[in-house]
Amino acid sequence: MKYAFYPGCVSRGGCPELYPAAVKVAEKLDLELQELTDVGCTGAGVLSRDLSDPINARTFAKAERNGLSTLMTICSTCQGVMMQANHRLQSDTAYRVHINKTYLADEGLEYSGALEVKHLLWVLMEDYGADKLKAKLTRPLSGLKVAPFYGCYLRRPSDLMAPKGFAGRKTYLEDLISLVGAEVVDFGGKSKCCGFPILTANEDNSMRMVSDHTGEAKDKGAHCMVTPCPLCHLNLDGNQPNAEKKAKKPIGLPILHLPQLVGLALGFDEREMELQRHIVPPDAAIRNVKVNMLS
Amino acid sequence: MMQTTFKVHRFDPEQPEHARLATYVVELPESASIVDGLTYICDEQDPSLAFRANCERGSCGDCALRVNKKGVLGCTTKIVDVVGKDGIVTVEPIRHVPVLKDLVYDMETFLWRKVRAVTPWITPQAAGPNGASTVSEQKIAEVRTAMSCVMCGLCDEGCTVVAVDDQFVGPAALTKAYRAIFDPRDTRHVERLQSISEPDGVWDCTHCFEANGHCPIGIEPTDRIFEIRDEAIRLGIRSGKQNPKVRRHYDSFVNSVKKSGWLDEGRLAIESEGLFNVRGLLKLLPTAARAIVRNKAPIPYMHHKRPGAKAIRQIIEKAEGKRS
Repeated sequence: MKYAFYPGCVSRGGCPELYPAAVKVAEKLDLELQELTDVGCTGAGVLSRDLSDPINARTFAKAERNGLSTLMTICSTCQGVMMQANHRLQSDTAYRVHINKTYLADEGLEYSGALEVKHLLWVLMEDYGADKLKAKLTRPLSGLKVAPFYGCYLRRPSDLMAPKGFAGRKTYLEDLISLVGAEVVDFGGKSKCCGFPILTANEDNSMRMVSDHTGEAKDKGAHCMVTPCPLCHLNLDGNQPNAEKKAKKPIGLPILHLPQLVGLALGFDEREMELQRHIVPPDAAIRNVKVNMLS
Repeated sequence: MMQTTFKVHRFDPEQPEHARLATYVVELPESASIVDGLTYICDEQDPSLAFRANCERGSCGDCALRVNKKGVLGCTTKIVDVVGKDGIVTVEPIRHVPVLKDLVYDMETFLWRKVRAVTPWITPQAAGPNGASTVSEQKIAEVRTAMSCVMCGLCDEGCTVVAVDDQFVGPAALTKAYRAIFDPRDTRHVERLQSISEPDGVWDCTHCFEANGHCPIGIEPTDRIFEIRDEAIRLGIRSGKQNPKVRRHYDSFVNSVKKSGWLDEGRLAIESEGLFNVRGLLKLLPTAARAIVRNKAPIPYMHHKRPGAKAIRQIIEKAEGKRS
């Protein structure tokens, strides 16, 4: 399976542990990634769509020029923003022609509208398949209680992210946690916003969301949380000490990136998955894993 | 006929400590709605039950309720479509609002205060020679979807920000604002955008798309909010006067992508606070220190350029040029 790989800014910026973890997992699973190196930021929902749509169209055109039909992301926000841009470009031919002509023609690029954008989570569950993945696992994470945290852009808008025939996308994270041998800790905040998008506009509300979600998961017995979104990770992990202070409540819930959880079950150790880079140390959570090497 | 057990929230403001779910067994046709069920309970079993319903065809938004933990319009929701396998339907008031009695909540503190804050009526230019303010069909088509809003408040009920802060103006009022902002007859376009750019306004939205999922009639309030934001940016309104950090954040984001093709997160954090805002910069220090200790702090302004940076810069400049 060959994918145009779009790692996103944060996987090598604020969350530099994500990129190597994802690449190592992909290599172990024989997912062939052709990284797009000369493309831009998606806009992350911050840039106006006037700016971000042409930048994303350029990324899609680059992937197509490389002969690839699917682009893989490792960031829910990149996934959501790209998928919404792609939807506008696919459903409105006049708009796509305008973007091609106005912004891409100078470089001799053209986006046909045929590219599919898929998060690693969807690639694992839909393209790779649960059975094949299970067969590759060497260290089931039994004993580990994991709370799923989707973030917004992998679930909504639901008619775009989980259209007819893809209803399973609403539970892939829970399915994956079970698949790697860990226990799912269900909680109400799992598909809510982490608060990162309003960190600048309203820090109090943002921190309240962090303490609400991590606190709820912890109270329900989670040893750690897993997220497919590095922006959620930045807020839930990086700002958890600030949120604890505002809420006047100790929490201390480690937040894993999705590839790190899978990587641990594939046999990579904590250092290989760069867990030491997390602000909330996951050491105690990992100790809950009863190492159970398969023969 | 179908037998269903209704568990209905009962609340007496004089005895708030006795709030409870009361059980009623109703027998109604399969076509019956939640409002039909509540009406049956009120008529046949317990006339003291208070609930709100009006048009009974999904046009007035009066019967917004929380049924089996999901916000719905009671009149257009059939019992058969929401009843659990146990034959139970739980009916509660919508969240984040003061309940006055049973299922009746206070619309003033919840919704009307916020709607008034966005001045939801247009201010047209002087009427034409025939006394009318005319508008073309094509122009009004752009706001027609937002005009269909029935003000049920379910988008606010599902809003991730309203859940933690009742001062946030919320998607319902912002949809009303959209309707006025994009009405071609209105003369307060810029003034409106400036007003809702202040704290607790449009920039406080997380754009999480919860509002779309909770709107029962497909108005897609989150998309309306995106359109307001894009229009504000087109006109150079990237924050209000009281929240300049939002503008600095946007400008730094654009400049960073323009310069290197991708986001310089360290630069973004510093420039969002403001280069000369000593207090703001000092506030960043503990978070930055924790990241440095963990060897994960992006070094500001040391961002290498992506190979496609020049092309991306040209795209942004072209898009910005087209706006002005």
